[in-house]
Amino acid sequence: MVMTEEQARVRQQTKRILNRFGRRRGNLVPILQKVQGEIGYLPREAMLEIAEFLDMPEIDVYGVVTFYNQFRLNPPGKHSVRVCLGTACHMKGGYITLDAWKRRLGIDRGQTSPDREFDLDTVACVGCCVMAPVTVVDDKPQGKVAPTKVDGILLSFKLEKERQGEESR
Amino acid sequence: MKITDLQSVLPAFQGIKSRAESQWRELRDGGKPVIMVGAATCGRAAGALEVLRAIKDELKKQRLDCPVVEVGCMGHCYAEPIVTISKPGYPPICYGYVNPVIAERLISEFILGDDPCLEFVLGALEENDLVPSFSDFPRAKFEKKVILKNCGHIDPEQVEHYIANGGYAALVKALQMQPEEIIDEVKSSGLRGRGGAGFPTGQKWEICRNAGGRPKYIICNGDEGDPGAFMDRAILESDPHSVLEGMIIAGYAIGARYGYIYVRAEYPLAVHRARLALRQAKKLNLLGKNILGSDFSFDIKLFQGSGAFVCGEETALIASLEGEPGIPHYRPPYPATNGLYGKPTLINNVKTLSSIRYIIQKGAEWFASVGTERSKGTAVFALAGKVVNTGLVEVPMGTTLRQVIFDVGSGIQGGKRFKAVQIGGPSGGCLPESALDLPIDFDSLTDAGAMMGSGGMIVLDEDDCMVEIARYFLEFTQRESCGKCTFCRLGTKQMLEVLDEITKGKGKIEDLDMLSWLAEDIKAGSFCGLGKTAPNPVLSTMSYFRDEYEAHIKEGRCPALMCRELIAYYIIPEKCERSCDACVGTCTVEAISANKKRIKVIDQEKCVKCGTCLDACPPQYNAVVKLSPPSQVPASK
Amino acid sequence: MKTVSLTIDGKRVKAHEGEKVLWAALDNGIYVPNLCTLRDNSEPSAACRLCFVEVEGKKQPVPACTETIEQGMVVNTKGPGALRLARTALELLLASHPVDCAHCPSSGSCELQKIAAHLGVKLKTRRFRKLLRELLVDSSSPVFIYDPNKCVLCGRCVWVCRERLGIGVLGFAHRGFERVVTTFGDGPIAESKCRDCGECVVACPTGALTFKDKQGTVKSAHKERVETETTQ
Ligand SMILES: Cc1cc2nc3c(=O)[nH]c(=O)nc-3n(C[C@H](O)[C@H](O)[C@H](O)COP(=O)(O)O)c2cc1C
Ligand code: SF4
Ligand code: FES
Ligand code: FES
Repeated sequence: MVMTEEQARVRQQTKRILNRFGRRRGNLVPILQKVQGEIGYLPREAMLEIAEFLDMPEIDVYGVVTFYNQFRLNPPGKHSVRVCLGTACHMKGGYITLDAWKRRLGIDRGQTSPDREFDLDTVACVGCCVMAPVTVVDDKPQGKVAPTKVDGILLSFKLEKERQGEESR
Repeated sequence: MKITDLQSVLPAFQGIKSRAESQWRELRDGGKPVIMVGAATCGRAAGALEVLRAIKDELKKQRLDCPVVEVGCMGHCYAEPIVTISKPGYPPICYGYVNPVIAERLISEFILGDDPCLEFVLGALEENDLVPSFSDFPRAKFEKKVILKNCGHIDPEQVEHYIANGGYAALVKALQMQPEEIIDEVKSSGLRGRGGAGFPTGQKWEICRNAGGRPKYIICNGDEGDPGAFMDRAILESDPHSVLEGMIIAGYAIGARYGYIYVRAEYPLAVHRARLALRQAKKLNLLGKNILGSDFSFDIKLFQGSGAFVCGEETALIASLEGEPGIPHYRPPYPATNGLYGKPTLINNVKTLSSIRYIIQKGAEWFASVGTERSKGTAVFALAGKVVNTGLVEVPMGTTLRQVIFDVGSGIQGGKRFKAVQIGGPSGGCLPESALDLPIDFDSLTDAGAMMGSGGMIVLDEDDCMVEIARYFLEFTQRESCGKCTFCRLGTKQMLEVLDEITKGKGKIEDLDMLSWLAEDIKAGSFCGLGKTAPNPVLSTMSYFRDEYEAHIKEGRCPALMCRELIAYYIIPEKCERSCDACVGTCTVEAISANKKRIKVIDQEKCVKCGTCLDACPPQYNAVVKLSPPSQVPASK
Repeated sequence: MKTVSLTIDGKRVKAHEGEKVLWAALDNGIYVPNLCTLRDNSEPSAACRLCFVEVEGKKQPVPACTETIEQGMVVNTKGPGALRLARTALELLLASHPVDCAHCPSSGSCELQKIAAHLGVKLKTRRFRKLLRELLVDSSSPVFIYDPNKCVLCGRCVWVCRERLGIGVLGFAHRGFERVVTTFGDGPIAESKCRDCGECVVACPTGALTFKDKQGTVKSAHKERVETETTQ
């Protein structure tokens, strides 16, 4: 099979990361975390490269990747939206907030919007139940996210983008 | 180990300790006001970093030079961001709900001027004549801070703060004891594991010490998967060295060579601080080769869990450390004899390990004097939900639920009625008002159908639907099930399906029998603790709140007005004010319009039941109501 | 090796020390339903939960595949508690299995049918909701067809593919209800490293893996295995 340029690049990048690790199966999860940290997700080629490096069946790498919540098989969006569905947030309407995000972004949890601007997922308690329902937007927890606040957050991103667009023009 | 080898230990530590103490003294008694900002995750979420920046800017602007310290979580999460100011001549005063504006005022009026801004005070940390202190609060009578003692009072990123407050003295003492003596001490303290099951810690240590096979490992279980709990994270963020110290002592006692701290990657701050603590301890030779000159060598690594509730289960946790999916393995043999890479492995919870230093230092007897006959020491809870004072709570075992919720937690928010308290997360259960006088300990909670679990305590009020909370937890365990065994993979899915139908008003009364029958089978038949406890939230709500289940099934009514398919939002025409359009604009799906008389009407077809209009309707009109069943909405004319 | 004597269903039997109850029973002609365990596999996976038996002195039924025999042990494979659990487990499996025996090439050799008969459970269960997953059938291999919808996750094929043959094309992926036996990236078998040996098909107790054209062969292969296991 011929490799595309993109695939070759992923292989190279993965190899570089692998150089820092020993060939121990126990390193699998830390390796996956590192690769995802740098590439943003776990492309097929990266998983193949890792399987080869650790001398383990490819399916076992895939099995580990699909088992854990942390790992993603698709590129993330530019902004990450994490709706807290911890107990306190759920009971204060976190599911309503999730619905509002789904409705506005037009995607389900675990997905990235077609324009690659946002990816949507859920998290369990982020430790600020006082401000329930919480949504973590780009690693910053936002409190009391009612559906109207969802619109507000999206609007501010849109304005930001328009401003940047104007500046670059 | 021969005691003679240890003669170097004490002097080696003396130097470290006196340096730390002088550093701490300089901070506390340096004649300058000290400002402490609570910057654990809870504080940061509430804006602590902005407050921190405002403080630093204001200090610079005023040309003031006083130390600003980032501390961990004091437990008063409801009042975050929290700032504590210790100014010479004043008691240390703690301020709550601080924002950048308040922060600036604290600097200009209290640090610069002499007005302690009483309007923002939460409480003083010491008794005094000027401001009420925390010890005057009713909750102080019930709280007893042991493992949370340092949290929020020291900078978790400075090992010197920890040492100056008595840290690592227990390790030094332990290194001068025989390992068996340490184990005896832990055994007679009566400490039971805080990870949920309450297994006697000393006994586990002994088994592990006596097990053959080298090297031995110690794992600190900080997976904390309960979706409503954050104690372990708070401890790792606020006092990481207390966990390390417990691990090192455990390592010495059982003869381990390596240790792992297992923290989930979703807890970046805890990961960062634990890592930093490891580096600091290593530098001071509190970790590594020949610790403090003894012949005991011990190393600890940090491992980031990738987020799967089942990885809290010890065999699954080990599998994930070995690079496998977190699927539980068959026990026996137990990890204590055959654990990580088949070697003897001691797994203890964060809180268990951070209790160790107090047992060694103050003695088993002291530890055992707190708590009940069979549950010794204190219990740490993450108090959340509809309670006024959410946050971290530490009380002696044996304190009643009522005391925790109403005295420490100051009761229910907004004057609503208490309905239930959910304890033990997905493995636990919901207890009603009648159970409030139960003492909190391992055995009585289990007898009542809940569980000590990991320590999440969620308070529910009249607006919370008991069927929905059961469905929520089941959905969680179902999603987090590893999928290995039939009962958990398919059984919880069947139960969830039925609960889904009930919350949508499509349940049948026979379903309740099927649910309890299947729940019993899942408990008896599942492979690991996840499946074995997954039905608890359903069983406990079915036994204490059966009437709510029946209302959903028989009347299509959700008594708490929570289940979306069973409620409708309705604007009472008589109450709606013609000139007000507050709701119209806020509706996210444009379901509200005004009729000819300018009375607002909700289009039930379009309504997604998000409740925005109910919040938007000004209190003087209060025209929007929830009705259940939805058929209560009068037909539009 | 030392032998141990115990009683199973009132019959006094002998077995090697350290043996699991399941094998002691099967070796002595007493059938205990089982799917997920293989004799050569050192660690029982104990996943299917069909092999519950009652042991005198134990409060709850225990899986026979993980319970080590002991001298003088008294085992009852037909106790009401054990049968209740085994039946529920089987019904749960059947509720998520497209019970379409009339069109299934494995009908007659399928172990689900056999276990259902043994436990007196109807194949079309009423007690539970039908919860199917609608996964794609993979017929890309020249030799066999893989229908993941019929898979009971016993893991026999996975084990055979890696431990016995050292290939490791098949494995478990995803979690919980979504857990499946699959290939890397959930791709077609034909694009994996599969060598078409068909050992996995022979190992499969259900109709999830079936030979393409030699349907006769697969049937007899199954029958043979089932028979040797029960009569041994
Ligand atoms: C599904 C499941 C989840 C668990 N999660 C945790 C956890 O998050 N933290 C923890 O310390 N123990 C957890 N445990 C308990 C551990 O298996 C183990 O008993 C504990 O870490 C032992 O420590 P201890 O003796 O100090 O309690 C969990 C158990 C099960 C079955
Ligand atoms: S009970 Fe079974 S399926 Fe559930 S998590 Fe444990 S082993 Fe996995
Ligand atoms: S439940 Fe959402 S922050 Fe705790
Ligand atoms: S054979 Fe015992 S659980 Fe599957």
